[in-house]
Amino acid sequence: MTVAIRATDLVKSYTPGLRALDGVSLEVSSGEVLVVMGPSGSGKSTLIRTFNGLEVLDEGELDVLGCRLDADHDEQQVRAIRKRVGMVFQQFNLFPHLSIVENITLAPIKVQKRSKQEAEQRAIALLDQMGIREQARKYPAQLSGGQQQRVAIARALALDPEVMLFDEPTSALDPERVKEVLDAMRQLAQGGMTMVVVTHELGFAREVADRVMFMDEGQVVETSDPQTFFTNAREERSRKFLNQMQH
Amino acid sequence: MQRVDRGRLRTALRRLRARPLDGLVSGGLILLIGWVIFSSLHWLLTAADWSVVSVNMPLYAVGSYPIDQRWRPLLWMVLLLLLTGWTLFGPRRGWLRRTLPALWMAMVPLGVVLLAGGLGLMPVGSRNWGGLTLTLLLTVGSGVLALPLGVLLALGRQSPLPVLRYSSGAYIETMRAVPLIAVLFFGQLLIPLFLPMGFEINRVLRAVIAFALFAGAYIAEDVRGGLQAIPPTQLEAAAVLGLSPLQSLQLIVLPQALRIALPALTNQAVGLLQNTSLMAILGLVELLGISRSLLANPEFIGRYLEVYVWLAAVYWLICTAMALLARHLEIQLDPIRSTSSFNNT
Repeated sequence: MTVAIRATDLVKSYTPGLRALDGVSLEVSSGEVLVVMGPSGSGKSTLIRTFNGLEVLDEGELDVLGCRLDADHDEQQVRAIRKRVGMVFQQFNLFPHLSIVENITLAPIKVQKRSKQEAEQRAIALLDQMGIREQARKYPAQLSGGQQQRVAIARALALDPEVMLFDEPTSALDPERVKEVLDAMRQLAQGGMTMVVVTHELGFAREVADRVMFMDEGQVVETSDPQTFFTNAREERSRKFLNQMQH
Repeated sequence: MQRVDRGRLRTALRRLRARPLDGLVSGGLILLIGWVIFSSLHWLLTAADWSVVSVNMPLYAVGSYPIDQRWRPLLWMVLLLLLTGWTLFGPRRGWLRRTLPALWMAMVPLGVVLLAGGLGLMPVGSRNWGGLTLTLLLTVGSGVLALPLGVLLALGRQSPLPVLRYSSGAYIETMRAVPLIAVLFFGQLLIPLFLPMGFEINRVLRAVIAFALFAGAYIAEDVRGGLQAIPPTQLEAAAVLGLSPLQSLQLIVLPQALRIALPALTNQAVGLLQNTSLMAILGLVELLGISRSLLANPEFIGRYLEVYVWLAAVYWLICTAMALLARHLEIQLDPIRSTSSFNNT
């Protein structure tokens, strides 16, 4: 199995002396779904944001799909990675002044130089896949949070990424809207997409993840298969976290 | 319906004389307002002599432009009116709508060429340009130049490059610290000094450039307000999709920022129109300049009130048109409101 992402001793601090990432190493194989869990402030978001260069590393080295990223933050490499890695944010971050279809076709047309017609066909197909085809001509503010997040997933998929990063994709949603987004992600995982998902959804992690990685204070506490993690976590800190999450 | 109205009237009346003092104040104010309206109407209908306006209508429209060439400024103003109408009532989608900004920008060189002559037209010196034509040319010309300047300055002020950031900031602060009239005098006197010997630049263009340099500083601050309202997550989303910094500026940031800045920009546009009247001091005979020269004419001596009331009405009319355009643009740029009105029509 080929390695999609290899991280070696990543270090990142926002304020001197306080490390958001404190020597994180990991590997994600292609086709794998890795769920990253941990209390808030544990560095999970920072970690996946380094994978596509949204955060610049202080130390350590990343290999994403064969492109190297390190503290030098080579702009060319970052652009090359972003073209092949999709990302979904907690707050959706759709473009409010563009219609749903325009949100999805913007990058295929402007970055990949595809024809407008081709991009629109693909956008409609993706919206269909997400179950929101009828929203195509509306604007983000007219959609519910769950619908907006599915548009955000479609927007990322429109560039045919090889890896998808999800940064707490359901944390900003009303509880009754969570399932529709998780279902879309589940479907994506079944299709063989390489995914790194930061989430607090235990059910999703249990069912969909190939491995669960638990982080605390900028460090990887343990990485296990979901079966082990949820029933018989090796580390005391993981067990304590799970205990808190289930109440 | 009628009963409701009568009820409202009764409530209003009750409020106006709730206490004896209230009744006294209300009564006094109503008498005062009535007297003002009566005397104004009395003056308008009986005492006012509008010949000063009606006789000089051509002067108000085109200034002292040669009579046989008057069709040129008139044609330009008609085109401007048509373009305004087209913007307000024309198609709301498609390529015809997308050409509008270019058409508006083209109005300035078109106006200058039509007025100045050349290209087979008889040359007419700028001292013969005047009236409403000149007011509009000054406004549209300086507006069209000032907007891109303002956007560039606002972007410069946010630039990560210190040289750009400080020089933009210094420019904006300096321009805001100098009164407009001083900038206009400097423009008339200094711009010729920077030009090569023997190269004469028309004084109307000098005024337009000085105006644009001044207004650009204010527009920059309005645009900066819009830029700061865009959450940084929008830039992240654009970057993650592989858009270059220039693309994300052009496709994501500016369209949203300018929409937010639009009410403030409308203010600037109206201010620009009003400020063109300062050109009268520099000897340009735009609307106010024409009025002053007419009042100096023995034939129309003492007709101050008529002239200034007329002037106020003309400015009011143009400002209203600008406000309508701005509101239309606000609705157009609001995706949800514009689509719903699009679906209804």
